[in-house]
Amino acid sequence: MQFGIFAVLIGLVLWSVQATVIDDTDWQRIGTLADIGESVAHFIGVDFALIPSLLGPTIETFMIACIGTLLGLVFCVPMIWFGALNVTPFKPVTYPIARVAMTLSRSIHEIVWALIFVSAVGLGAFAGILAIAARSLGFIAKMSAEAIENIDHKPVEAIRAMGGSNLQVMIYAILPQVLPVILGIVIFEWEINIRRSSVLGLVGAGGLGLVFFRQMNTFNYPGVTTVIIAILMLILIGEVVSHYSRKALI
Amino acid sequence: MAILEVENLRAKYSARGPEILKGISFEVEDNDFFAIIGPSGAGKSTLIRCINRLIEPTSGDIRLDGTDMLSLDTRALRRKRRHIGMIFQEFNLINRMSVMDNVLSGRLGYVGAIRSIFRVFTNRDIQRALELLERVGLQDHIDKRADQLSGGQRQRVGIARALMQEPNLLLLDEPTSALDPKISREVMELIRTMANELKVPVLCNIHDVQLAKEFCNKIIGLQDGYKMFDGPTETLDQSSLEEIYAMEVL
Repeated sequence: MQFGIFAVLIGLVLWSVQATVIDDTDWQRIGTLADIGESVAHFIGVDFALIPSLLGPTIETFMIACIGTLLGLVFCVPMIWFGALNVTPFKPVTYPIARVAMTLSRSIHEIVWALIFVSAVGLGAFAGILAIAARSLGFIAKMSAEAIENIDHKPVEAIRAMGGSNLQVMIYAILPQVLPVILGIVIFEWEINIRRSSVLGLVGAGGLGLVFFRQMNTFNYPGVTTVIIAILMLILIGEVVSHYSRKALI
Repeated sequence: MAILEVENLRAKYSARGPEILKGISFEVEDNDFFAIIGPSGAGKSTLIRCINRLIEPTSGDIRLDGTDMLSLDTRALRRKRRHIGMIFQEFNLINRMSVMDNVLSGRLGYVGAIRSIFRVFTNRDIQRALELLERVGLQDHIDKRADQLSGGQRQRVGIARALMQEPNLLLLDEPTSALDPKISREVMELIRTMANELKVPVLCNIHDVQLAKEFCNKIIGLQDGYKMFDGPTETLDQSSLEEIYAMEVL
């Protein structure tokens, strides 16, 4: 019995290797191992001449991530409110709306969002900002709504018992509990958005991705490496900032 | 004169669930320190929460100061609740706010939406909060966060917050069961002193019979949703206790 399951699994793996790797690869073009090594070696090296012209796109990528995250957060607020079962204003309508919007936002890739917004508002950073906002609001809203669902209800009971309104329950009993959590989620998402915004230029939505694309098209392989290093440094900065600021929140 | 009249009160948690309160009637008078005793699961907490409708009773009659509590709409209920102070077993404070803000939050029922968003309280409220904090012995902890206090201190914040409401009735839900015996006695003593001074009747749900005998002038005993005893404290004897606790070893 167990042997049978293994045999089927191994068969499936072999079949998918056959279909995707062996049949699908242009073996003639690859050539020998030495040829592969030579192609990879093209990427070794840094194009120092490119560095000055990277500064602008690097800052742009960073700004796309920052403004996109903030914009996403703004659009999130009603979704968080609608999407948390314990505070949603009219459960049969508002809760499903929020949940569908969250799933839509997360299931469409940032490149696809960027394509949509490039066609809507044209090439450039603005399309990137909109794409980042659209892509990240689902995650922020989902996690924040869950934070609201998991609050300690004792303060809620206290505010209700003294005659507090729904608004007062929100401000005094719920927000103090979830604000630090939501801020942590936003910083985490901002860090991921730096990664995302660095590739958006591939479809014309501004930032380092566009430079990357241009280097690739002109076969300037050291230039590609230079852009990758710039992206890496940007992401490192994001990680450090995110790590320490989230630590400070707790 | 009776300030609170409860008649034939019935309650259940869900439509098909078991009945928690099975026709409870009693009266609390002007200067009463009124105890509800009984084993765990007897319905003490449900009963006390029916008074301010944190739990909706299924049928019966509750009159507070002549007002029919069960006929009030949301708005009128909120207006009525601000005259009912409540002190909780687990204090139900807002942990991330300061002691002062917690005490001031007792005024929320009287404060409009905009003022409560910006935490603007009148000078009179602030003066009153400072007086109460001094009375409960927390004048040195005003700016501390509520979660930095000990259990006894937190309950004192709870008492000050309830008194901020200028209540006509105090509801106490097991105010001492999260505290050690010495602190419990101090907290009960404080509540009795303040209630006497402000002439507020107290309805207190308590499982410690010793404390009930010591502090309360009237007692009702609940068991499994039925009232098994009702009378002045002096008339509570061993046989009535055995009936309330149904052979449970005391």
